[in-house]
Amino acid sequence: MVSEKEMIPVRIKFSKTGDLMYISHLDLSRTMQRIIVRAGIDIWYSEGFNPQPKIVFAVPLPVGVESDCELLDIRINSPMELDEIAERIQRNFPSEMKVLEVYTPSVKFKNIGYIDYTIKLYSPKIDNETAGKIENLFKSECKIVKKSKSGEKEINISEYVNLVEAEKKDDCLEIHAILSADSEKYLNPELFIDAIKQNLDIMNSGMIDEYYTIFRNKMLDFDLKEFR
Amino acid sequence: MQKNISTILKSVQKPGRYTGGEFGQIVKDKSKTKMRIAFCFPDTYEIGMSNLGMKILYGALNQMEDVWCERVFAPWTDMEEQMRKNNVPLFALESKDNVKDFDIMAISLQYELCYTTAVNMIDLAGLPIYAKDRGEDTPVILGGGPCAYNAEPVADFFDIFSIGEGEEALCELSQLYLDMKSNGTYTKSAFLREASHLKGFYVPSLYNVEYNADGTIKLFEPKFEDVPETVEKRVVEDLNTSYFPLKPVMPYIETVHDRIMLETFRGCIRGCRFCQAGMVFRPVREKSAEVLNAQAQEIYKNTGYNEISLTSLSISDYSCLNEATDLLLDWTNRSKVNLSLPSLRADSFTKELMRKVSGVRSSGLTFAPEAGTQRLRDAINKNLYEEDLLNAVRLAFEGGKSQVKLYFMNGLPTETYEDIEGISVLAKHVVDEFYKMHVRPKKPVQVTVSVSCFVPKPHTPFQWEPQDTLDSLIDKQKFLGEKITDRKVRYNWHEAKVSRLEAVFSKGDRRLSKAIATAVGKGMHFDAWDEYFDYDKWMSVFEECGIDPSFYANRKIGFDEILPWDVIDIGVNKSFLISENKKAYESKTTPNCKEKCSGCGANKLGKELTWCPKKK
Repeated sequence: MVSEKEMIPVRIKFSKTGDLMYISHLDLSRTMQRIIVRAGIDIWYSEGFNPQPKIVFAVPLPVGVESDCELLDIRINSPMELDEIAERIQRNFPSEMKVLEVYTPSVKFKNIGYIDYTIKLYSPKIDNETAGKIENLFKSECKIVKKSKSGEKEINISEYVNLVEAEKKDDCLEIHAILSADSEKYLNPELFIDAIKQNLDIMNSGMIDEYYTIFRNKMLDFDLKEFR
Repeated sequence: MQKNISTILKSVQKPGRYTGGEFGQIVKDKSKTKMRIAFCFPDTYEIGMSNLGMKILYGALNQMEDVWCERVFAPWTDMEEQMRKNNVPLFALESKDNVKDFDIMAISLQYELCYTTAVNMIDLAGLPIYAKDRGEDTPVILGGGPCAYNAEPVADFFDIFSIGEGEEALCELSQLYLDMKSNGTYTKSAFLREASHLKGFYVPSLYNVEYNADGTIKLFEPKFEDVPETVEKRVVEDLNTSYFPLKPVMPYIETVHDRIMLETFRGCIRGCRFCQAGMVFRPVREKSAEVLNAQAQEIYKNTGYNEISLTSLSISDYSCLNEATDLLLDWTNRSKVNLSLPSLRADSFTKELMRKVSGVRSSGLTFAPEAGTQRLRDAINKNLYEEDLLNAVRLAFEGGKSQVKLYFMNGLPTETYEDIEGISVLAKHVVDEFYKMHVRPKKPVQVTVSVSCFVPKPHTPFQWEPQDTLDSLIDKQKFLGEKITDRKVRYNWHEAKVSRLEAVFSKGDRRLSKAIATAVGKGMHFDAWDEYFDYDKWMSVFEECGIDPSFYANRKIGFDEILPWDVIDIGVNKSFLISENKKAYESKTTPNCKEKCSGCGANKLGKELTWCPKKK
C-alpha cells in the first residue's frame, strides 16, 4: 500500500444550492464519498478495519445555507487529469451541485479566516430604518449566547463580524456580511440572524411571510483575500 | 420548490426527508407525460426509502414513457403540523406538485399499523378519506403490498388493490388507464370495473358483504357477473428477466437500509406454519448467480455503496448461494465492499459461509429458532433441531463472533409453559457452547433472546387460531423473564399491546374501517412508532365504534367459516392450510419443497419453478 504522503492532493471547489441547503454536513459527507466511488476516482482510503474514502471539507456548511464556494480535499492514488476529475464528479452530482474548479492545493484550510455571505431577510416589518439599525447593531458590543460542544457561553458577536452592509431592496433587505470562520472563532450565520431577531423585533413571528436566505459567496484568508 | 414548502422546512427536523432532488430520482417533462402516479409510503422517508418493493415499482412504472411516477412519504408530525397550519397539501418529492392532482395515488401497505398513517395521507392530500365520497376528478387510490392479502379493514378507503407482485401488474393497470383516457371511455367506475377483469386486481366496492347475527360473514360475493369471485395474486415468472432497479435513488439522509439490496429469490421452501410471507410468496423463484452478480456490479457502479445485502426470506436456501457469493467476493473485496447475508438459517450455516460473511463488521449473528422446545418447533414446522443451532453458534464463535441473537415467539398455538421455559434452556445451552471452546473470542459472549408475540395471519395454517389474550401474553413474558437467570443472556420482549392491535387488523373485516376513520379523526397515526402508539386510546375508539377487538384477535375460527380474505387466492389451497393446521396439533412436520412436494397448489402459478418437482 502506498503511504499517505505519496498520494496526490486534489482540491474540489463546488456549489450546493436550492433544496440541497437542507442536507446536513454529515449527510453531504457520506454522499460525497459515494459520489467519488461512482466517479471511479482512485481515491485513497483510510486504513483499519473499516476503510473509508478519505475526504476533508473546509468549514462545514450549516443546514439552511446555500453556497458557491465549498471546498473539498481528497488524495488520489494514481494521477488523473484535473479536468477529467471535474467531469467525472459533475456527472455524478445531483442537479443542485456544480463542480466549479478542480486544482492542486497550495494552502491549507487552516488559513481560512473569514467567509463572505449574502443574507436576505423577507418580512413585512422591514422599513427604511431597518438597514441602518442592523449596520449599527454590530458596531458596538452585542451579547449573544453561543452554544458549542463544550457548553454555552456568552460572546460579543461584534468581535466576530468584520463587515456588515445592509440595503433595502424591493422585496427584501439584503445584507452583505463578512463573518469570522477561523476554527478557533467560527461564527454560524444563524447566530448573526439570532442577534438581529433579539435586538430588532423582526424575523421572530414564526409565520411563513417572515423568512431569510443565507448564501456563502467566498472563503477568505486572514487578509480578506479570496482563499484558494 | 414551492416557496411555502421551502420556508416551512426551516422549522422542521430532518428537512432532508422532504426535499427530493437526490441523485437517481426520475424527473420527467410534465407536458409530455399522460399519467402521473404518486407512489405513497405511509411511514417516514428513512423507512420508505429502504423498501425494495418501492424501488422496483418506481423504476418499473417510470420505464413507461407516458407515465411519471413520483415518491411521497408520510410527513413526520412536526412537518404535518406546519403543512396543516400553512395550507400545504401532501406533495410529491420530485415535482412538489399536490398529490390530489395526480391520476393515481398508490399506497404501499407494508404492515397493519400503518393503516392510520395511510388514511391520514389521503386526508393530508385534501381528499375525502372514504372512496365513496371521492368524485370523478380525484385520483384513483390504489393499495398494494403484503397487507393487500387482507385489506378488508381499509377496503372502504381504497378504490382498488393490487394483489401479489406488482411490477408487471401495475404497468398493465397504467396501460388500461391510458387507453381508456385516450379513447374517451374513462370514468372512474368504468375503469375500476374494467380493472377488476385484469389478473391480480381487487375492487372492493364490487363485492357485497353480509354478516350473521354472531358477527361472522354470511355472504361475500361479487355484485356483477363479470366480476371474479376470487382474485388470484400475481407472480413474476422469471426473476432473471424481470425488471430490477439498477440505478436506485440515492438518499442523502441516512435510511434504515442504506446499502445495495439485491434480491436473490422470491418465496420460501420452508412452510413455517405461522409465516405469512412463506405462504403468500409461493412458489419459489430464483435469480441465477450470473444475473445476480451482473446486477450487483451495475448497481455498485451506479450508487457507490460499500455494502451489498443479499435479500430473501431465507438466504441459506438459495440454491446458487455458493456460486453467487464466489462471484461477488471476487470483486467486492477488492472494491472494499462488504457482503452481508441476513436471514441465515442455523441448520445450513457452514464454515464456508462463516468465512464469507466474516468480512462484515458486525460482531454478531442472528438466528430464529422461534420456539424453545423440539415439540413446539415441530408444531410450527420450523424443522430446526437444537443440535443444528448449537453447531451454527459454535461455528460463529470459532469465527470470532461473540454475540448471538436469537428470535422467538410467545403465544404460538399449542404452546405450554414448558415450551417457554425451553427458551431459557436453549439460550443457556448456547452460552455453554461458548465456554466449551478452548480458544475463545476475546469479547465476552452475549446471547440476546428477543421474543415477539404470535400474531395469527391470513393465508397461513394458523389463520383460524386465536391470539393469546393480552393478560396471558404478558404473564408468559414475565414467566420467561424469571426463568432467564444467566447473566450472559439478555432478554428483550415485544410490546404485547402492539401485537394485539396487529392481530385485530391482520384478521379484520370491513367493519373495522369505522375504527380507523375514527382514530384518524382523533389525530392518531404512526401507530408503529412507540412515541405515538396509544393502546388505551385504541380501546376507547373500538368501544366508541361498537367493535369488540377480541372478536378478531382472540376467537378460534371454524374451518367452514367464510373468511374476510377468502376473496383473495394466493395459489395455496385451503385444504393444504387445513391439513397443516391439523398436523400442528400432532406436532408433525412437513418436508420442505426441496425435499418433497407437499401439494400446496402454488405451482399452478408461474412457469418452470426451481423447487416444484411436479412442474419440472
